[in-house]
Amino acid sequence: MIRLTIDDREITVPEGTMVVDAAQELGIDVPIYCYHQALGPLGACRICLVQVEKMPKLVTACTTAVQEGMVVHTRGSAVDKGRQGVLEFLLINHPLDCPVCDKGGECFLQDYTFQYGSAAGRYDEPKIHKLKDAAINEFIIIDQERCVLCQRCVRFMGEYVGEEQLLLEGRGVETVVSTVSHQPMDSQFSGNVIDLCPVGALLSIPYRYKARPWNLERAESVCPHCPVACTTSVTSREGHVIRVEGRPIPGHDWGWLCDRGRFGYDFGYVEDRLLNAWLDGEITSAAESTRTIGSWLNDTLEQHGGDSVAFLVGGQQTMEEAYQIRRFADEVVGTSKVAVSRSVKGYLPLGLNGTFEDLDRADTIVYLGQDPYDAVPVVHLKVRDRYRDNPGLKVIGIGAYDLTRSTVPGDAFVLEPGEEAAFLAYTLAKVAASNPIIARLGEELGDFSPTFKGAKSEQEVETLGRQLLESEHLVLLWDGKDPHMESVLLALRGLREDVTAVLPTFGPANWRGFERAGIAVDYDRLEAFVEEAIQGKIHLLFSIGADLLRDYPDRERAKAALAAIDRVVSVGLFFPEQRELYHAVIPGAGWSEVDGTYTNMEGRMQVAKATVQPPGQSRPVRTYLGSWAHALKKSFVLEPEWDPFDHNAGDLIAKDALPEVQSVPKPARPAMKDGALRLVGTALVMEGGMPSEILQPRIPKYPGRISLADASRLGIGEPGGELGLRGQQGMISVMVAVDERIPQGVLVLPYGVVGSPLNQLGDGAVVEAVSLEEVSLR
Amino acid sequence: MLEGVKAIGKAMGTTFKALTEPRDTIAYPEKRREYAPRFRGKHMLARDEDGHELCVGCGLCEAVCPAQAIRVVAAEAPTDKPVSWTNRYSVDYEVDLIRCIFCGMCEEACPTNAVRLTPFNELAAFNRLDMIADKEELLSPPVRR
Repeated sequence: MIRLTIDDREITVPEGTMVVDAAQELGIDVPIYCYHQALGPLGACRICLVQVEKMPKLVTACTTAVQEGMVVHTRGSAVDKGRQGVLEFLLINHPLDCPVCDKGGECFLQDYTFQYGSAAGRYDEPKIHKLKDAAINEFIIIDQERCVLCQRCVRFMGEYVGEEQLLLEGRGVETVVSTVSHQPMDSQFSGNVIDLCPVGALLSIPYRYKARPWNLERAESVCPHCPVACTTSVTSREGHVIRVEGRPIPGHDWGWLCDRGRFGYDFGYVEDRLLNAWLDGEITSAAESTRTIGSWLNDTLEQHGGDSVAFLVGGQQTMEEAYQIRRFADEVVGTSKVAVSRSVKGYLPLGLNGTFEDLDRADTIVYLGQDPYDAVPVVHLKVRDRYRDNPGLKVIGIGAYDLTRSTVPGDAFVLEPGEEAAFLAYTLAKVAASNPIIARLGEELGDFSPTFKGAKSEQEVETLGRQLLESEHLVLLWDGKDPHMESVLLALRGLREDVTAVLPTFGPANWRGFERAGIAVDYDRLEAFVEEAIQGKIHLLFSIGADLLRDYPDRERAKAALAAIDRVVSVGLFFPEQRELYHAVIPGAGWSEVDGTYTNMEGRMQVAKATVQPPGQSRPVRTYLGSWAHALKKSFVLEPEWDPFDHNAGDLIAKDALPEVQSVPKPARPAMKDGALRLVGTALVMEGGMPSEILQPRIPKYPGRISLADASRLGIGEPGGELGLRGQQGMISVMVAVDERIPQGVLVLPYGVVGSPLNQLGDGAVVEAVSLEEVSLR
Repeated sequence: MLEGVKAIGKAMGTTFKALTEPRDTIAYPEKRREYAPRFRGKHMLARDEDGHELCVGCGLCEAVCPAQAIRVVAAEAPTDKPVSWTNRYSVDYEVDLIRCIFCGMCEEACPTNAVRLTPFNELAAFNRLDMIADKEELLSPPVRR
């Protein structure tokens, strides 16, 4: 530790800390453009000049490391004069654009010029003109004249994300920030450069000219789109959400967002948003629909009893809402049938759940079935951050295709679809066969041996096994598809002495919160509900924020279940798929419209504040629950005081005991006809979930991905083409493109693609390519 | 009795004398008072010589307004028919003339000299909504007769 004095105040900081960070810790503000803690020192902008005693000249606080006994002055006539000089140079070619610039009012160039700059410039020559208002992708425009060349954006994309899409072009005063080869930026993390830009050079297109800082309201929120639940700050003006920014939490989170989270906020205002209540396909008043549904509930309870009513909770509800729904089901209706709409079958015991801090300490990270870049983009960024700190980080991708990418290089084990659990059990048996837990795990495995696409020797499998057992800090990211993986993870935890942390990458985003609210989230519960519905035992269903047809792995079965229920009521932001299966659809309120707590993939509870009023007739779920209780003439006290936070565990949900290890069955390999493909589902944050008009240009045109060999066999060229697929349960058409990471005989398709529902055919199904005419005739 | 007549006579004398004296009131609305050249009345939004709106919708008037009487909504200017001299303009500009205290800070803050206070001060209406001047109204300023 090093002691130094900044502005007559003493502070002790670790060795290697920059003066600017030490000052920040004391609450002393040193102006900064180029420096960012995540990116490290650069010293390009020179605005952070400070005076250090016994140093002959002013030094930049961002590149000067602290030293024992250092005495720093961050203000004073010499410092102010230095900063004034720097600003004069920065402003030489800067246009007087502030009235038309979106950054006006929250611009560091304005702030520092106001604080340190001189009142007039001395430069009489004409200013150099550069490119203005040029789009660098669908969301961002660049104004090169306003740029102060701090290089934060260039360094963020190149060094931090590892996708080199921005660069500096030209020399001297002609230097500009530009995209590589003048191609649009297509990184998932492009939006972060807007937050990073200290001036008005990189601006958001959706937010363009929308507001000024003084007519905004900012609310702390969390992103609802994927299980990462990044902390965000939601900006609204006149009751409309108009911007989402990252909200850094010092020491915990940098506040990076993916483009889905940053620009996908407009789902409340798209054309499809439900604004009215619908009964049997007709618009009705809110009062009418509530009365009618109340009488349905009353009749069903009288005729069939409480157990004939079921509740299905999905995706976006808050923990408080889930708690109210559970209480309503228990106390008012008297049914235990509350299920969570899920798309994968796995469950992760809380005791295994790791946190993002585990990623920061990991020496081995294993992707199980899912590339985090697709499903939980910011986790990919966290992995990349760890890789930057620790280049020796071992990344292992185990799945039906190559899950690693060049930004975080790793070793890929490409298996037959759905064999990850068996493969891991097999691998562990190779290195620790004598262990009773491993023996239990492999009881039913029989003569299973994995087949690899791309050569992998037995030697490499053994090395993997040893890595899994001996690494010092192991983190696994699990896609939740195979329920047997739970046992493998438990066994791994039981065998290892060091930390074993698992992060579930599967949705719905708030499932852990539902569990805390008292709703059983396991897939068996959902399966039991579907089975009972098909048998006609359920007469009234409340589907709250859920879309069974979209989520449930078997679309035909979901259809049969809904069709067999007498009355189906949906509460949500949008019409569910195949709305003719629903008897009443009433508009609900969602993210940014209700206060609530969301739990992320760490099991961390985070509060999101309401920013705007629900539009039209839409109301929060609790309003409907209260009115239905009233219709039954029962009292139902809504308890807003329920506090999900555990006062012992803080914002993390308290861990509980781990279940027993079960054996992993030998996976059945379906017979493959010549030319058949295995369909593999993947979670893609851009697909499924909430619609967004802003994101429309970024939603992949070719969501399906196949190998080059299959593409040339099926006549799919560049950039991609449409493919008809026939499985046992029907046919769909898919837009596919070539991806070199996909092995031959596999077609990877995201969940929830509009028009190409994966669950029509089933995850892992064997499908044949058929002509498009055949699909359209179905 | 004589006292009374004398008093009436004196009063009438004052009255008749006042008939010929210059008046303090004017016959409004036929006649109007001259105002100081910098009188601050109702707002207007100015145009440049080419007829383009000067307002760029920066919102500084909104920020500076102590009575919070101004609302500005900016947008990208339509490219097909040039309304503004730059690519940003105010799509909505409202002044609540009931709230306004005619301090003139908006005029002072305006970087493009678009907001100006005219001498027009005949502000009356039968309902409150009519007292909110919208952009169209402000772009065609009333002339004080």
